[in-house]
Amino acid sequence: MTASRRFPREIAALESVFEFTAEFLPDSAVSPALRRSVDFVLEEYFTNIVKYGAGTGAIGIDIDLAAGRVQVALTEPDANRFDVTRVPPVDITLPIEQRQPGGLGLHLARRLVDTLEYDYAPAERRSRITFTIGTPPATAAKTEQVRDAGH
Amino acid sequence: MLAIDLGAEGQVVISGRLDASQAATAQGFMDKLDGQVVLDCKGLDYLSSAGLGVLLKTQKRLMAAGGQMRLVGVSRHVRDIFTYSGFDQIFEIESAP
Repeated sequence: MTASRRFPREIAALESVFEFTAEFLPDSAVSPALRRSVDFVLEEYFTNIVKYGAGTGAIGIDIDLAAGRVQVALTEPDANRFDVTRVPPVDITLPIEQRQPGGLGLHLARRLVDTLEYDYAPAERRSRITFTIGTPPATAAKTEQVRDAGH
Repeated sequence: MLAIDLGAEGQVVISGRLDASQAATAQGFMDKLDGQVVLDCKGLDYLSSAGLGVLLKTQKRLMAAGGQMRLVGVSRHVRDIFTYSGFDQIFEIESAP
């Protein structure tokens, strides 16, 4: 089950983005916690494009829901290459005097996703960020074991 | 939507969603606070990095003047965001029961 929409490249469009996720990912389909995570990651990448993107074209958002996992793709036209999978980690142990909010959003988004991919088509100058959150039931138990061992 | 106001006992009550589109509104309110601030987060459903930026800027300003902000009634979602960002070491946090 997939839904696609385009949103103007402005912070004020976030309200419409969240209406889109609420409509397509209702409580009957996903847990509120899962949709909150989707909203969070979407907001971080969407606002990053709005703030730092080079173009003016609308941002495309595709959401696919299948077997307990949500896959989201953000497509940015007129884009310069910016690989979000290669953003350096933020030092979250710094004292408050040295802490800055900049960069924190991408760091947190990375923490919340299960998979993250970046694709750039130079001929079209099209950038695409694809992430998934949630795990299909068949592999959920195995993934949880790995997480427990890793954290 | 975001709502932020002073409660009956002097605490700051925040509810709804503190995202990038609401950060300026929240910052405008926070900029008027001073001293020891208690932020009641029981009704705060959602917090993004833009909201963290508001809280960080406010905490820095308050601490520079000898005050600080303490958060109470913090939900699991907000608590997780604080933990992942290291902000649980910057703010005193009391989780919701």
